[in-house]
Amino acid sequence: MSSQFAALLDRFFYRPDEAVGPFLESAPESDRGAEAVPDETPEEFLAFVLDTETYAVPIGAVREILKVTVVTEIPRAKKNLIGLINVRGEMLPLYDVKMRLRLADTAPVVRASKDVGRAARVLLLKDLEGDAGILVDRVEGVVKLQLSRLEEAPELGIDRNAIAGLGRRDHQLYILLDVEQALS
Amino acid sequence: MAAPRALTEFIAEANEILEVLGRELLVLEEAGASDPDPDRLNAVFRAAHSLKGLASMFGLETIARLAHRAEDLLDALRLGKTPLNQQLVDALSQTIDVLQIMLGEASRGEDSAESREQAEILGAELQRVALGTPGDAIDVLDQVGIDPQVRAVFTEFEEHRLRENVKKGVGLWKVRAVFSLDDFDTRLSQLNGRLKPLGEVISTLPSSQPGDDSSIAFDLIFGSARPEAEVEASLTEGAVLSPLTSQPLAALPPPPPPPAPKRRVPAWDDVSSGTGSAFAPGPFPSAPSTVMRIAPAPVETSLRSLTNTVRVDIGRLDGLMNSIGELLLIRSNIERIAEAARQVAGPSLPKLWGQELQREARALERRLDELQKGVLDVRMVPLGQVFDKLARLMRRLVRESGKDVMFEVSGGDVELDKLIVEELSDPLMHLLRNALDHGAERPEERLKQGKAGRATIGLFARQQGNHVIIEVRDDGAGLDEARIREVAVDRGIVTREQTEEMERRDLLNLVFQAGFSTRRDVSELSGRGVGLDVVKTNLQRLSGLIDITSRRHEGTTFTLTLPLTLAIIRALMVAVSGRTYAIPLNAVLEIVSVKTGELRTIERREVIEVRGQTMPFIRLARVFGLPEEQRAMHYVVIVGLAQQRLGLAIDELIGQQDIVTKPLSGRLRDIPGVSGATELGDRRAVLVLDIGALMEELLRPQASLEPRTAG
Repeated sequence: MSSQFAALLDRFFYRPDEAVGPFLESAPESDRGAEAVPDETPEEFLAFVLDTETYAVPIGAVREILKVTVVTEIPRAKKNLIGLINVRGEMLPLYDVKMRLRLADTAPVVRASKDVGRAARVLLLKDLEGDAGILVDRVEGVVKLQLSRLEEAPELGIDRNAIAGLGRRDHQLYILLDVEQALS
Repeated sequence: MAAPRALTEFIAEANEILEVLGRELLVLEEAGASDPDPDRLNAVFRAAHSLKGLASMFGLETIARLAHRAEDLLDALRLGKTPLNQQLVDALSQTIDVLQIMLGEASRGEDSAESREQAEILGAELQRVALGTPGDAIDVLDQVGIDPQVRAVFTEFEEHRLRENVKKGVGLWKVRAVFSLDDFDTRLSQLNGRLKPLGEVISTLPSSQPGDDSSIAFDLIFGSARPEAEVEASLTEGAVLSPLTSQPLAALPPPPPPPAPKRRVPAWDDVSSGTGSAFAPGPFPSAPSTVMRIAPAPVETSLRSLTNTVRVDIGRLDGLMNSIGELLLIRSNIERIAEAARQVAGPSLPKLWGQELQREARALERRLDELQKGVLDVRMVPLGQVFDKLARLMRRLVRESGKDVMFEVSGGDVELDKLIVEELSDPLMHLLRNALDHGAERPEERLKQGKAGRATIGLFARQQGNHVIIEVRDDGAGLDEARIREVAVDRGIVTREQTEEMERRDLLNLVFQAGFSTRRDVSELSGRGVGLDVVKTNLQRLSGLIDITSRRHEGTTFTLTLPLTLAIIRALMVAVSGRTYAIPLNAVLEIVSVKTGELRTIERREVIEVRGQTMPFIRLARVFGLPEEQRAMHYVVIVGLAQQRLGLAIDELIGQQDIVTKPLSGRLRDIPGVSGATELGDRRAVLVLDIGALMEELLRPQASLEPRTAG
């Protein structure tokens, strides 16, 4: 009974000018499958500094950038978990990634903004397992990188699982962070 | 197609309907076949009817069809055409189960062949029950309203013919003929001859109201599809036509929907409209109008929903709750500003404003309290929602188990937070299954032990302060301590030495340990790989506790203690090494202070004595690996669950506060001893301690209490 009803409704509301067929052919995605062409649109990444190295994550993975306020430490948690931050009522974890990247031996103890540098920020990253923040020393800004020109991280004799690849622009090296790996 | 949102609402409403259906059915069953309450019957019928309508609106044909069958049966029951018997109740309660399964599938966008087939079989069963036995046909005659005295003299054949005529839906007449004694035989056959072409003379009876001495009166029961005028015209002199009705119309069940025969005997539809006028004011609702046939239930009521309730997703209430939490924070900020302004020295304008502001802030607080209570109230639902489902399940399980068990329920009206009620159904179901499967013995065995042959399993709830206590009680075999000890040692849960030191209570509590199951054979009912440890974990997630008492051969009682609500709890704020933690007040028994010199040790573990009871003294800082200060005096928060006690040493008491506990997201789920976080006025996140888990961890027999220091 309802399917009849639905069909009636469809017929009633359908307008021929809503047919999308003709537009599909000229839609921007329809040339997919062709080899990457020189005029490829570069992807946007958010670049940030950890210690002396510059890292980047796809801009789509960033939920927001926050100043460091109060951080609540969590007893008996994993070592790379700095603590809990309150983002407008939402309780989210703040992680240290320097340890994973061998930039530091221990996670910093951060309980308030005075414990970090003035430029330090929290990058709130979207993640399937639940959004999480990472502590960075400074945010550089948005950088455009061409996906087809990314390099793989070279073999350095250490575990570099947390690195998704390398990007270059104007002599600046950007280390692309594999968020999922970096938080594990 | 229907929007997903509309479908969700339908599922919710349909579930509610099924709940009503299940509940009323239980009441009907309990009342027994003797005297089913017509209002109840009508309510059940209406529920099935609405379900059918809703389901077909959403294109869920299988559900609609099954609901339709149930409706038919209930209609027959309501009109007294089918007797209320065990078979009927069984079929209907099975139907509810299957409908629930199908609704679940529909909500996930599934449609399994298995449930469809089940629905088909059940539908046929319902139809069979509705058609019933010959008893049902006698009821048809009741409907016609023939004077019982007259009916008493009918032969079986005459009764059968009458029934057939009723089914054909032709007009039924009584022709009263008074003939002279002289020639009554010829005149009677003359009358018969004239009536025959118009229909069927079902019976010819000497009238119960005889004429005078010289005449004799006959009553002819005559069935005819012809209009009244035509029948009247065919009568010979001395015969009077009257409709065959002894009951007034009002004596029939009030609602006008066409009775079940209409569906059972399609022929009724074909002829009824033609003879309707002949029958009026007969006992049948004459010729149902076209409108009625399309919607065979009271149209004006079916358009309205069954209740004037608003269904709200619990997530939205959580959202409201969070907003209130934020408002409370803002209020305390205002209070602080007001206080600061009031402190301004000398008579100044800010000081006046400060006072004014403080007054307003207090008014705001009162209103916010009301708002908070209001939202909490909305979240509360009666436990009956779960108890009814469980009662139905138990009925089935008891029947399948072949044991003789009485199931008692009380406290269904006790209200709890919706979230808790939802989460409770699985643990309770598991406990009940256990009680039936492992607790209740077979009658022979019970009689041998001098107990009543019939076992009793009870599910009771009551409110106690800020808690709800739920008991699952059986008077069965009880737990076998020796066996528990053996198994626990066998499985390596504890060592034999440990079991020897354990109190009886602790020993019983071993059944909650993972990997524990005393039953060697896996039963169909409760041996599903889910143990009591899962029940316990589920309850802990609800900040609840489970305790067990059992006496050999006397029975077992599981006692569940649950907070009234999870959304807002009163908490004790404490400081440890400069960190703030919230301890749910419902776990706090008292707060004492002890001097370091009063501490004793047992096997090098610190204990304190409070009112003659010795209990472990646990330094929270040490447990959490925080730097410890040397101090001469400790505040000790005595927390307790059931009979267990624990003294938690803290540095400072900050105060009591209502807090909105927020769960920790995915990555933080497994933080030990922490159940969530809440925010304080300065936006700082404060961890809420999970006392149940902490006690579990700290009091476990093999728990190591090695000091952990900050790394």
